[in-house]
Amino acid sequence: MQQYLISLLIFTPLVAALIGIFIPAKSIPYFKALTLLVNILQLLFLILIFSHYESNGTIQLVEKQSWITINMGELGTLKAEYFVGLDGLNLPLVALSVVVLLITTLSSWTINKNVKGYFLLLLLLNASIIGSFTALDFLLFYLFFEFMLLPMFFLIAIWGGARKEYASIKFFLYTLVGSIFILIAMIGLYLSVNDPSTPGQLVHSFNMLNMAESSNFISNTILDPQHSWKIGPFPARYWAFLLLFFGFAIKLPMVPLHTWLPDAHVEAPTPISVILAALLLKIGGYGLLRIAYPIFPDAAMHFSWFVGLMGVISIIYGGLNALACKDLKRLIAYSSISHMGFVLLGIASLTTEGIAGSVYQMVSHGIISAMLFLIAGVLYDRTHDRTIGNYSGLSTKMQSYTAVVVVAFFASMGLPGFSGFIAEILIFLGAFKSNSVNGLLHESLAIFATVGLVLSAAYYLWTLQRMFFGPFHLKGGIIESSIVDLNKREYLMLVPLAIAALFFGIFPQPLMDIIDPFAKQFSEFVLNSGKSLTLNP
Amino acid sequence: MVEVQSHQSTTVELFLLVALLLPLLSFFISFSISEKYSWVVPFITTLLLLTSVVSSVYVFFSVWKHEPVVVQLHWFTIGNFKFNVGILVNNLSAIMLIVVTGISFLVHLYSSGYMAADTSIRRYFAMLGFFTFSMLGIVVADNLLLIFIFWELVGFSSYMLIGHWKEKIEASAAASKAFLINRIGDAGFLIGLMIVWANQSSFNLIELTNTTEILSWQTSASLCIFCGVIGKSAQFPLLNWLPDAMEGPTPVSALIHAATMVAAGVFLLARIHFMFTPPALDVVIIVGGITAFMGALGALVQHDIKKILAYSTTSQLGLMVMAVGVGAPEAAILHLFTHAFFKAGLFLAAGSIIHSLHQAQHKTHDHFDVQDVRNLGGLRKKLPFTFIIFILCGSALAGLPFFTGFLSKDAILTAIQQWIGSEFSWKWFMLAIAFIVSFITVLYTLRMIWSVFMGEEKRTSTLPIAEPPLVMRIPLAILGFASLWFVVCSNPFDYSGWLYSGLHAGKYFHSSFMPIVSAVWVVLALVVGYILRKKSIQSSLLLHNFYLDRIYNALMVKPTLHLTSFTNYLDKKWIDGFIHSTVYTQVILAHFTNWFDRVIIDGSVDGVAGLAKGVGSVTRSFQNGKIQLYLFWAIFSIIIFLIWLII
Amino acid sequence: MFPLQHFLYLSALLFSIGLIIIITKRNAIMILLGIELMLNASNLNLVAFNQLNPSTLDGQFFSLFVIIVAVCEAAVGLSLVLRVYHEHKTSIPDELNNLKD
Repeated sequence: MQQYLISLLIFTPLVAALIGIFIPAKSIPYFKALTLLVNILQLLFLILIFSHYESNGTIQLVEKQSWITINMGELGTLKAEYFVGLDGLNLPLVALSVVVLLITTLSSWTINKNVKGYFLLLLLLNASIIGSFTALDFLLFYLFFEFMLLPMFFLIAIWGGARKEYASIKFFLYTLVGSIFILIAMIGLYLSVNDPSTPGQLVHSFNMLNMAESSNFISNTILDPQHSWKIGPFPARYWAFLLLFFGFAIKLPMVPLHTWLPDAHVEAPTPISVILAALLLKIGGYGLLRIAYPIFPDAAMHFSWFVGLMGVISIIYGGLNALACKDLKRLIAYSSISHMGFVLLGIASLTTEGIAGSVYQMVSHGIISAMLFLIAGVLYDRTHDRTIGNYSGLSTKMQSYTAVVVVAFFASMGLPGFSGFIAEILIFLGAFKSNSVNGLLHESLAIFATVGLVLSAAYYLWTLQRMFFGPFHLKGGIIESSIVDLNKREYLMLVPLAIAALFFGIFPQPLMDIIDPFAKQFSEFVLNSGKSLTLNP
Repeated sequence: MVEVQSHQSTTVELFLLVALLLPLLSFFISFSISEKYSWVVPFITTLLLLTSVVSSVYVFFSVWKHEPVVVQLHWFTIGNFKFNVGILVNNLSAIMLIVVTGISFLVHLYSSGYMAADTSIRRYFAMLGFFTFSMLGIVVADNLLLIFIFWELVGFSSYMLIGHWKEKIEASAAASKAFLINRIGDAGFLIGLMIVWANQSSFNLIELTNTTEILSWQTSASLCIFCGVIGKSAQFPLLNWLPDAMEGPTPVSALIHAATMVAAGVFLLARIHFMFTPPALDVVIIVGGITAFMGALGALVQHDIKKILAYSTTSQLGLMVMAVGVGAPEAAILHLFTHAFFKAGLFLAAGSIIHSLHQAQHKTHDHFDVQDVRNLGGLRKKLPFTFIIFILCGSALAGLPFFTGFLSKDAILTAIQQWIGSEFSWKWFMLAIAFIVSFITVLYTLRMIWSVFMGEEKRTSTLPIAEPPLVMRIPLAILGFASLWFVVCSNPFDYSGWLYSGLHAGKYFHSSFMPIVSAVWVVLALVVGYILRKKSIQSSLLLHNFYLDRIYNALMVKPTLHLTSFTNYLDKKWIDGFIHSTVYTQVILAHFTNWFDRVIIDGSVDGVAGLAKGVGSVTRSFQNGKIQLYLFWAIFSIIIFLIWLII
Repeated sequence: MFPLQHFLYLSALLFSIGLIIIITKRNAIMILLGIELMLNASNLNLVAFNQLNPSTLDGQFFSLFVIIVAVCEAAVGLSLVLRVYHEHKTSIPDELNNLKD
């Protein structure tokens, strides 16, 4: 059992989806129960995984099966494996996914349009998210990564709001462009990397760990670090890094590749917004940490200032845009962009604090943004109106809701005591220290990023002031009787998230135990191999 | 996980933890008690705070002039760096511990009378408890990061308490403004933290103290941390939030916006005084001087009694900051200590006026702004107790001899005088400001007390005004009593009492010259104030705090909002526009290829087919099923054949 | 005695007229009449060619035989036309296109 835990995690939803096909579409409760069962099973598997996991900086619970092996004569052998495993980077994210997906299922309880299709797509999405977080083979990762688009597209396009077609197509096109970038880089890597496990033979494998070792590159191939081909101003390796970077930055999303996100969020149904913000965005950051940085450390160091700069621009630009938003969900979407900018800044610093902060920020933002979108959903469920200006003084009618909103807003603002604070302070410390430790980022980047803190306080406090405080009145034809406080199911979704955000804000050590070995190893590895590759190009 | 390196017995630590955590417990209890039993909340929280006071008194006596308490707990580790949470209670912290728990207790007691009719009393007391906990956190924390954490948390509780009456638009706007302006200062604080971390990889105060030589980064780091102080202690240029914060309940103003939270900045300056380099200290004193001056002028022209006190607080905080700037944090802390009591007393006394008048208004349905001093007058007869308290605390504020304020102001003036040296320089200007400020302080205090209590009753004459209940009078009495000189020193003309000598680090300058000058100066001011008591200064500039709000609106808020609409435009028009235009280009291209497909490619294929079809239909027409036509063709071909034969 | 050519010209003329009637006329009866004309043209030829061997009367007998056959044929043809007319209310062959694809 122990060695198949990850597979169980990935394939349980797929099997459930297969079973679900044969259940008649009319038996709606069965689909909800099936999905919930899958989520609970996954939670059990997750607990088992944690009981077997030892935090020592290695990849654990590895499963490796041959998957595709094609002998192509003189061209060598194409080898893709079913290769999954967990380390300090993806274990927190997988745990986050399992929890958020469980809460998503709870939040999907009110879906009443084509329930069968909805829940089956949700199960497919579940499998592909966990698959892409755990895959260590590039082809396998790419497969899951691409597969994610499909259910997501339909979930927005069918169950979405007024402009769902526009939003879903925009989402699809944007992400597809990113995927193409990644595909090009992947093909380049496939051509350039040899599998060291079979010496003497030419075996092109998609193993990410092999790709990260510069000795595995075949000499005189396009991405060979020794004789990298020069295309235009940069060596091909730099181009490949940029392709991967932009591919994942679209997903992250980074300004100016972000405009799909607000539209997708505004149009998507609440549970899908939650998945989108809490999990899908993280795959962008995960991809940078897992693929782009370790495989091209030289390019990563060369472009660090650029990555950091884009991070700071995202932080400030997202904050400014959030301040201008009139729609609550759009505001939260832009705040997501702003907060994911911190992830970029932390990664770019390549300090232990920065990397650990980035991973922490991904988990923390997963928790807090899930809360924020659920909150927006609560209001939308009641009134079908998210315009901030149409509400005033909600706190008098919805006291518990206001309390939860205050908690979520201040958590997102990075108030100490919430997980966001730990993440952001680590990123700030790492980014500022970067100049004196490895000379990659200038101090001014961290200083400018503090503007993001002020902006986030500004847009959240302004929203609180406009919507929740002051005398109670409604505009825009909202019926007053529809304003009721939280129900039990909503408590069940929101309170655990609030507790998690508090827990990781006050006791960061349990999570840090997992992240820290990875962060330390990662920053050292990238810096060392980056330096050695830059020294003898 | 626990690493204890204390020089003190564990009992002290236990009491310290009790003092620290009881307010937090009070926060949780207040929220967990159901709405129905909310009347018990004031009792429980006040009792908890009383226990906390007792514990901190014990801690104080164990620590005062003894070894400090040092406790360190491991919080989390990143790479090679450990982040700890720890406690460092030295003399400075011990005295603050008393001030914070003591005044918080008195305010709790007072609030149980003042807020008795409030509907959300649970939230009120919960946030008071949370504030006290966070404030104590700042006081005892042993590292800068922890101080920053609690620093932000007091900002949060201040936000919640200013906006306590959330239906009032002004209250929530003031709360947002206070938090936001504090956030700007905190961003500076955070940058300071980053500089410290980048250079020392440690936030621990003890470890930072051990770096003896003055390093270049310290100037920038200390100035950045000073930004946090500027925000929290309402110093120039971030001082405009404090008058607005008076929208909160009056006990809150007494606790947070007079006695403790705003003083946290001064405390922090004293705590990390070792980090400040001479150039940084020059900035500190100039900022303090400007604030003291602006605040004093502002207090002179305000009409709202709470706003007068708020501006006066700003001004007094400016004096404290000046004291730190001249290198005399002991003097600043002495003034902080005395100011905490007499200013809390003044606020609570003002609160009892407001409370009594509101009660009376409630009975008679006569409504006017009870906080506006122009509506008040002659209240000494109806509120004699409050009047006495006002006199006591007001005298301390004005710095009259035999009151605590005289001693602490004397300490500050002496420190400034020592600092300026004998040569004439810009530093003399600072001494002048300090003297002018103490002069104006007397003027506005006199004017305030005069217009409220002396003269004839104005709009209050018909109201059935009664003194506030006992629970509100007890704290007032204690605070009034604490304004007398013997609280800090046995000699009414020598500030170096138990408190000062416990704080100072071996540098003590006393001149017998200064108290005399100061006393004469105050008496002179009193005379001038009495002559001018009926005159009121009309200055729109001062009334609106030098138009700082408008300036910030024009310089910061408006441009930011313009920027946001610009970025929004950028998003919608340029980025999305670019995306749309590429999509449209593609669609147009697709239409073109579609046309090409249809017309050219399909056209040529269709052309070939059409040719075949034409040929086919021609040949088909020979055999269309009509016998006559067959016959015709047969004969026609025979004739052709015959013609061919013949030719 | 008339030379043979004159008879042949006449019969060719008759035959052509009959042929043109067959091709151009739409009515079945007219076509039958055209056939009769053509038969008679051939009869004329048969009788005329008997000139070349006057000892026998082969030509005349042949033409008598043709006349008898022609009568039978006309009878059958007319009855068919009548029958068709009865069935389809038309005697125009072009309109009888039930079997056409």
